[in-house]
Amino acid sequence: MKRTLSALSLSLGLMFAATAAQATTAEDVKSFTLDNGMKVMVLEDHSIPNANMYLFWKVGSRNEVPGITGISHFFEHMMFNGSNKYGPKMFDRTMEAAGGANNAYTTEDLTVYTDWFPANALETMFDLEADRIANLDINPQMVESERNVVASERTTGLENSNWRALSGPLKGVAFQAHPYSWSVIGHESDIHAWTLDDLVKYHKTYYAPNNAVVVIAGDVQFDNVKKLSEQYFGAIPAQTPPAKVRTVEPEQKGERRLFVEKASVSTPNVMIGYHTPAAKSDDYYALDVLSSILSEGNSSRLYQGLVDKQIALAAQTYMPTSFDPNLFYVFGIASPKVSAETVEKALIEQIDLIAEKGVTQHELDKVKNIKLMNFYRTLETINGKANTIGTYELYFGSYKKLFNAPELYNKVTPADIQRVAKTYLKKSNRTVGVLAAKEEMDK
Amino acid sequence: MKLSPLSKQIKSCWLVALVLGSSVALSACNSTPAPKIAEVAAVDTGSFSLPQYEQYQLANGLTVYLMPQKEVPLITIDAVVRAGSVNDILGGEARLTAKSLMLGAGGKTKAEIEQAVDFLGASLGSSAGKEGSYLSSDFMAKDLDVMLPIISSVLTSPDFDSKEFTKLKEREIAGLSQAKESPRSVIGRYFDKLIFADHAYGKPSSGNRDGLKKQDISRLKRFYQSYYQPQNTAITVVGDFDKAAMKAKLKQAFGQWEMLSQVSQPNLAVDLPELDRNRVLLVNKGDAIETTFLIGGKGVAYDNADLVGLTVVNTILGGRFTSWLNDELRVNAGLTYGARSAFIPYSKAGVFRISTFTKSDTTEAAIDLALETYSRLWEQGVDQATLDSAKAYVKGQFPPKYETNGQLAGLLTNMYLYGFDDSYINDFQAKVDGLTIAETKRLVSKYFPQDNLQYVLIGNADNIGTVAAKYGTVTQVDIKDIGFDVK
Repeated sequence: MKRTLSALSLSLGLMFAATAAQATTAEDVKSFTLDNGMKVMVLEDHSIPNANMYLFWKVGSRNEVPGITGISHFFEHMMFNGSNKYGPKMFDRTMEAAGGANNAYTTEDLTVYTDWFPANALETMFDLEADRIANLDINPQMVESERNVVASERTTGLENSNWRALSGPLKGVAFQAHPYSWSVIGHESDIHAWTLDDLVKYHKTYYAPNNAVVVIAGDVQFDNVKKLSEQYFGAIPAQTPPAKVRTVEPEQKGERRLFVEKASVSTPNVMIGYHTPAAKSDDYYALDVLSSILSEGNSSRLYQGLVDKQIALAAQTYMPTSFDPNLFYVFGIASPKVSAETVEKALIEQIDLIAEKGVTQHELDKVKNIKLMNFYRTLETINGKANTIGTYELYFGSYKKLFNAPELYNKVTPADIQRVAKTYLKKSNRTVGVLAAKEEMDK
Repeated sequence: MKLSPLSKQIKSCWLVALVLGSSVALSACNSTPAPKIAEVAAVDTGSFSLPQYEQYQLANGLTVYLMPQKEVPLITIDAVVRAGSVNDILGGEARLTAKSLMLGAGGKTKAEIEQAVDFLGASLGSSAGKEGSYLSSDFMAKDLDVMLPIISSVLTSPDFDSKEFTKLKEREIAGLSQAKESPRSVIGRYFDKLIFADHAYGKPSSGNRDGLKKQDISRLKRFYQSYYQPQNTAITVVGDFDKAAMKAKLKQAFGQWEMLSQVSQPNLAVDLPELDRNRVLLVNKGDAIETTFLIGGKGVAYDNADLVGLTVVNTILGGRFTSWLNDELRVNAGLTYGARSAFIPYSKAGVFRISTFTKSDTTEAAIDLALETYSRLWEQGVDQATLDSAKAYVKGQFPPKYETNGQLAGLLTNMYLYGFDDSYINDFQAKVDGLTIAETKRLVSKYFPQDNLQYVLIGNADNIGTVAAKYGTVTQVDIKDIGFDVK
């Protein structure tokens, strides 16, 4: 019997007056905290004979400083390269032989490890994870090989993604002080410069159980997860909490601009970054709704104003969920024979239109439906559930906020959207980047 | 991330192979003895079977698949038409026709359809591949009575609005140039052209600029009338619905759709070109900072009885993180962020390809190491421990492929298009468990291309031209040239 998702949609059913009100409660997500400070959350779901283990570590590129940029991401790679019991290569080999697979990702704020496995391999996953948390062996030879892997990852991103080619330099201009200034992958010279000592310190500081949140979702029993957590993770000692990130990005006092040249780009790409507050801000939900009104679906403002009018081939927005104030991105790819300047003007015109005249209730209701659909889609899989629960726990302070999110979206009014557009999406607060085949010469 | 987007892309291709494999049991293969059950204990990855579904036909020949799933209050409705780029004449007809479904229908303009769908938070999209054209949608169960008429009118009576078509065509032509900004998004098109030449499987679904320029509404209408007919189409419905009520609604929505004519399909099994020498297609990208490459040859068709076994053997070679290729090129040598291999099946043929990328000045080292690693299949073979691990891996990663309404609808869609049944899912674990070392040897010698290898290298030709010549007869094109031809 598949467990229904209404457990996670009680508030949604009420707030959105939508379907499926056969609700259970937020208590379906059970959690406990080990003596060493590691928090574990469990969601039983017996729909397929599989389970996931997600480990969220509170370390990302925001914890870096110049000279070691990219080290959080590099460390993500090193966590697969050998520990006491499971030597080099044995983490992956052991997991795959038990029917499991894994991956990991690093963001500006977090490093997240993902294990996907048949449920009866659960104890093997605990054994593997505990060994690399407690006893990582940072092997110099592995470090050298892995440097090249990360350099290749960086290069292939720049080769194949104009977003990457432009967003990296744009962040560097938009942020003058805060570590969001550099890309998660780091500067090329830093990739080749980390020392063993840097890595050992990094592991000790950040990979402490009190700096982690674990989520296990799938065909598991809560009692068994608790027993295994205590057995495998419970003995790993806590560490002094990492130093806080002190730097606060100063207010931007005027528009900034940059240009990036890439010969193979067929039409100009335009990216605009506006400084916006952190995820915990009261304005987060209004900005997120604004982002959807601008770019989600072909009925959105940017599609109607740019793509349908053949000014742009594509136009989108992106607002990262983040610990510290970050950027609201607006991106457009010019149609053939359309200049970067025209695309930039058209993007800004759409934003200014909202700041001046606001949005309609119909647009707002549409976005609320979009959010509800996306919520259900996310919760269709054990993978989506595990990732979402952990994400809410970390960015919004509690996984229970997942249940409140619909209510907070529902509270957003057209006036809120107009206010945040006026407050944040203004000229003095933006950085404009252009990527094109050739920069115009001085006359 | 541990794995690259390219790896993921290739991985997903590999998964398609996995998903769409043959429904014929390995033991049914006539040319070889039935495989013996492996002598070691299989890893228990839990039992998994396909949820109950019903298949039937309306009086007009439309095939329907219904699979109730109550986990979320959503419904997915997909349609598939047996028509793809293999049916193209100028190139791009199938894709443009599919895209044109969304340009207005049933008295609603393109904008009105998009407004209606978006307002519900729903999705509705169309696309075409080599052998199928697709309409896909998902929405909240409560919105069925709004969405179903839209889906029905878009599929059965599109307007082909000429003004919107002109804009679509211009976007598609510009999209071809955009795609060529990313080697990994186009390298597969060059490779298929190298393998299949002028055969229908060589045609890129996107078409090329010259072909697209010549397209007009009348051509698309002809294409639509030739293939978009109920007896050439299936509708799959997966999600939170009542079966009896859904049957009545589907009959109302699609029952009036009329058969217009016999549908004639090309015989794809004939005129497949032979590969008679090593060839290299060098695609110059002047500002490339790395070389992206594929190496391979012919693969197998969907209905090949050995596809499940090949999936397991390919897992060992290049289908997972600890595969030989990824282990050698990434983990041991640090030459790349990811290396993979995959069988990509079509209904009457297929390709096999090794894929990776590396910085320009290590191109030769990476290709040599890929080839050397590949040769282990014949020189060293698969040992029991590696085989056991691969079998556990393939089985353990199988159930999450069929978790969502969309995944299940996609499976049913492919069952229609490629003619297999649910025994593929339900017998999958047993087939994997039955694979022996002896079988792997037979599979390697029979299917993995060893001679007449085909290479596509996208990179800076000035830097890698000499390297390219080492591997076969070189043909050089520029990535900005029209199309994907090897000329």
